[in-house]
Amino acid sequence: MTLMNNKLLIPFLLVLFTFFSCAEEQNFDQLDDLSVVPTLATGIFYFESPEDVINSLPPGNFYNQTFTFEAFNEAFVSERVLDGSITYQLENTTSKELSLLVEFLDETDTVLDSEVFTVQPQPSPLLEREVVYGDTGKSLDILRNTTRIRVSSENLGNNSSESTANDPRIILRSSAVFRVRLQ
Amino acid sequence: MRKIKLFLFTVLIGTGFLSAQNKQLLYDFYEIPQSLLVNPGVKTPYKWHAGIPVLSGVAIQAGTSGITVNDLFANDGLNFTDKVREKVVNGLSQRDEFGGSGQIELLYGGFRIANRPDTYYSFGIYGEGYLSQFWPKDLAILAFEGNGNNIGRRFNLNHLTLTGEAVNVFHFGINKVVDNKLQIGFRGKFYSSVFHFRSTGNQGYFETTEGENNLLRNTVVADLQLQTSGIESFLDILDDDSISAGEEFPKNFTRRALFGGDLGLGVDLGFTYQLNNRTTLTGSLLDLGFIYYSTDVKNYTLKGTASNEGIEIILPESFNDLNSDIWENLVDDIEAQVPLETNTNSYVSLRPIKLNASIRYNFGEQKRRTEDCYCGTNTVINNTPFNYKNAVGGQLFVINRPRGPQAALTAFYQTRIGNALAVKATYTADKFTMTNIGLGLNFQAGPVNFYILGDNLLGYRNIPDSNYASLQFGFNIISWNSN
Repeated sequence: MTLMNNKLLIPFLLVLFTFFSCAEEQNFDQLDDLSVVPTLATGIFYFESPEDVINSLPPGNFYNQTFTFEAFNEAFVSERVLDGSITYQLENTTSKELSLLVEFLDETDTVLDSEVFTVQPQPSPLLEREVVYGDTGKSLDILRNTTRIRVSSENLGNNSSESTANDPRIILRSSAVFRVRLQ
Repeated sequence: MRKIKLFLFTVLIGTGFLSAQNKQLLYDFYEIPQSLLVNPGVKTPYKWHAGIPVLSGVAIQAGTSGITVNDLFANDGLNFTDKVREKVVNGLSQRDEFGGSGQIELLYGGFRIANRPDTYYSFGIYGEGYLSQFWPKDLAILAFEGNGNNIGRRFNLNHLTLTGEAVNVFHFGINKVVDNKLQIGFRGKFYSSVFHFRSTGNQGYFETTEGENNLLRNTVVADLQLQTSGIESFLDILDDDSISAGEEFPKNFTRRALFGGDLGLGVDLGFTYQLNNRTTLTGSLLDLGFIYYSTDVKNYTLKGTASNEGIEIILPESFNDLNSDIWENLVDDIEAQVPLETNTNSYVSLRPIKLNASIRYNFGEQKRRTEDCYCGTNTVINNTPFNYKNAVGGQLFVINRPRGPQAALTAFYQTRIGNALAVKATYTADKFTMTNIGLGLNFQAGPVNFYILGDNLLGYRNIPDSNYASLQFGFNIISWNSN
């Protein structure tokens, strides 16, 4: 009987070891402190016009369009966006001074914000502008309430001159980079 | 949202029943009749056995590779977001896995018939299943960091791999002694699936690069799918406010478990070969079978290629678009190029095939007990069917998983202490842990058999810091074979 008891002792202790185990203190409330703030980036719009198209139209406004743009207005973005910026890049290789106007409109077509770009004839440097939204910049409500964008372009020169550049044209590029809080 | 959480909770609870995977403690531990379920060709020293219904075999198992609960939730004062970034987002790879599995026997028994003493028949019903989620590393980085800080990086969508199921299994096995060296076994299985889902074999990527025209271009190439069966009927119950989910859930579960769901067939094969008086080889192939999913199927696909640089106005072509909604056209184009579609196409799923093999060396003579053991009048003490005192050996386990086979190697020591107790200790190395020490105890008090098998005992020193935990236990009534 004693022998049996000794032989049973080790397994018995191991069973105790198994079932009377330990657990270091855990704090699952830490989950509330999780901060997930990705930075999202995307192209917004791209405008391009060759010089011969501009020359085919009378001087002055040669293009004007208002289009729906609900990327910022989507609940996923508008409710979570923290800050961000829109970068514009304007390139003019035509022989004319040109002006581009970008307007952000709400549902009632009220202009919430606008950016004007005026560029000299070729040779002119690449124009780059970053517009910041959020704490240190313009109000985020501009973007949250934007449902339409109006793009207008104006020829401030004539419609007869021709650039010496190869394939002359005006190009406006734009992109947005925003931080959104997922958690 | 509450209903979705309830459903997910139910799925997770359901997976508590699931098919335990590696059962290295049970394998070839033939004092326990359930060892027949992991090798139908194992030695069968029983005249008959009967499992206590619902309590004859309960097994649960959960594992994570690469991280533990303690890594994240230890009350260590560190910034939680930093811990998640370091240990989860950047620390885990797409080969890391979170999984749980389990099994519960509803009915289990076995017997010999008089004119075929070398053949042992067994039968039963058990519910099993599993849940497995490989860590979707690239998608997690995309969610945590976004694409803005990862221009030019390609986020692979093939990191998305998820499988899970709950199935009821009806089985009947035959175990036969061929000669004094070889014993073979076969088990036929009939599967009745309750629910199943899988998202495997996904392909594609998402990337943000410098645009061809504009400053940035987002590109998605996707070939993703999620196949489900049996899920919709549970979701319908949750969505229907006119019925009680608490009543209808079990009804639907039971109906689908008893042939009202998707059906399948499978077999287990196994053998034990006596190399010499002391050494045996064993092997088994489990779940060579399939389930055909045709009821309550709903599959989701996302397939196509789309690149986008934003709204493009290029003159003079865009003069034609002055009256069209170019934003809506852009959204429609992307949805047409990468459509999210559903279908109800039937599909076949092969069972997760498992391979077991072992070599075992017996040593020490089983001592015949003559003194009083104080262990009951029915205790078998003088005609033990076991011809060993101690045994050592090695075992191999391989399971076929969505990302390819996973293997585990086990070394074991087994000993019998009198006729009332058998002990098996194992050391196992696999992807979850390299420090898995397990212990199995089998108690025999007269005809009553109780076993308990626990894995990764070192992890119990601090359970939240353990990568893996597994527990099996059960009660049987056994009549030993006297020959």
